[in-house]
Amino acid sequence: MKTQTNDNMKCATALGGLREVLDPELSLNVVDLGLIYQLNFEERSKEILVIMTLSTPFCPMGDSIVNSVKNNLTAGFPGYDVQVSLTFDPPWSYQMITKEGLNFLNR
Amino acid sequence: MFSQKSNTGPVKNPSHNVVLPFYIYAALAFAVSTALLFTSSGYFSQHYFQPKILAITHTMALGWGTMIILGSSYQLLPVLIERKLYSNILAHLSFLFAGIGIPMLVCGFYTFNMRWPAQYGALLIDVAIILYLVNVVASFAKSKQENIHALFMLTAGIWLFITILIGSLLVYNFTYNFLPKDSLHYLSLHAHLGIAGWFLLLVMGVGTRLIPMFLVSGYNNKKILWWMYGLTNAGLISFAFSFLYFPSKHIYLIDVSFIAIAVLLFVYYCRKAYLTRIRRQTDAQMKVSLLAVIMMVVPLLFLVAIISILMFTATDINLVTAYGFTIFFGWLTAIILGMTFKTLPFIIWNKTYHARAGLGRTPNPKDLFSAGLFNGMALCYLTGFVCFVFGIMTVNPLALKGGAALLICCAFLYNANVAKLIFHKPGRYENSNK
Repeated sequence: MKTQTNDNMKCATALGGLREVLDPELSLNVVDLGLIYQLNFEERSKEILVIMTLSTPFCPMGDSIVNSVKNNLTAGFPGYDVQVSLTFDPPWSYQMITKEGLNFLNR
Repeated sequence: MFSQKSNTGPVKNPSHNVVLPFYIYAALAFAVSTALLFTSSGYFSQHYFQPKILAITHTMALGWGTMIILGSSYQLLPVLIERKLYSNILAHLSFLFAGIGIPMLVCGFYTFNMRWPAQYGALLIDVAIILYLVNVVASFAKSKQENIHALFMLTAGIWLFITILIGSLLVYNFTYNFLPKDSLHYLSLHAHLGIAGWFLLLVMGVGTRLIPMFLVSGYNNKKILWWMYGLTNAGLISFAFSFLYFPSKHIYLIDVSFIAIAVLLFVYYCRKAYLTRIRRQTDAQMKVSLLAVIMMVVPLLFLVAIISILMFTATDINLVTAYGFTIFFGWLTAIILGMTFKTLPFIIWNKTYHARAGLGRTPNPKDLFSAGLFNGMALCYLTGFVCFVFGIMTVNPLALKGGAALLICCAFLYNANVAKLIFHKPGRYENSNK
């Protein structure tokens, strides 16, 4: 599933940075795993808004994955306030893994 | 397009303080069991109803199997029901009561003194299981999520409670003799409700969730899960009634068939998950866990042979001993050995790196334990297991001793790897990678 963004250079850089945030079990990054649904930069309020999901609402690693996303963006974009919202609608499924992610898992 | 739940992050799972004591206790109990197996290996060529074998069986069933399952249940239940665990305090108390009760009961068996240590030990274990069950039921009741895997866990907890209740009655019956028949008569009922009702039902319920998840397989077949659930419970209820009211070897065979079909469906389910997996590479921990699934068929074959022989002649003692051994030291141990290193590294990783996640390089959970120790453990386990079963069947003291020695090595390597995880320090990891 492709992450929705307000399509600017910063979003592309942010998604590139988030490709360093790995799911600890799969070693696959959260972008290619399809966990990041939406990422937007609000320039007026200097905010980065992320809507993401987890593989299951009570994922034992969920807290750490959300922290990773937050920490990664905060470090990558100083001066911006990072807001991460969780959604389970639609729920994550294996169909959300990107082609690159599938290739990585199929190695 | 996306409905936002909150911006506060996911709801917290039980703290590692709740879960880790169970893992540590279980690891030590496994080491004690294998040490007792080594010192008492000669008894495995005699009748199975004797103090040393009862002590080993209960160390394995309660100290090893039940303790680690209780601990991992507290971690897994919130994932299954998508709700917080009802009470962390009840979880701590269940550890305390079981942790004290188990050695008292085992010492009672070992010395065959079935008076106060065994009796109070049994009572403490009863309290621990009641607390566990209250926690599971209360968590389950608050959940709005229908989940068959959680239902397996809940039902298994009820069977565990019935099992330990019968077990306690048998302990008291040694002294007060209030049951219509002696304790040996009820042993089969107590053992089978525990094996199939608690261990099998729970492993099937949780395994059908965890195995596809770790294999990264989207395979999910609710219909098969319901059949497994129904057949196992029907087999158990039928067995309990026929055992108490109209004992018949023919009915036992029907009960066994029900449970055997459920096990075969479980094997089929895991095979389908394996074949439809997205991640091609299967790690060593999953290989051991999948081997455990196949090993479930072994005691079933022994059981069918025992009942079939029983129809024409007396019980074959060696077959019964081998049957019990292939459960507790067989599939149950194999799946714990594999799954410990799929679950514990994540608990430790979360504890250690939770706050630092995404701020720089952190190890993967699989880097927190030694793959070499794991492979050595798996090798010692498999050779030790085969050697000991061979020793039971051929009444060969050397094979029994050798098998037990290899299982001690397995337990030592398991404990070493668990200790490596438990005492993991981030600084140490970073230094070792410089």
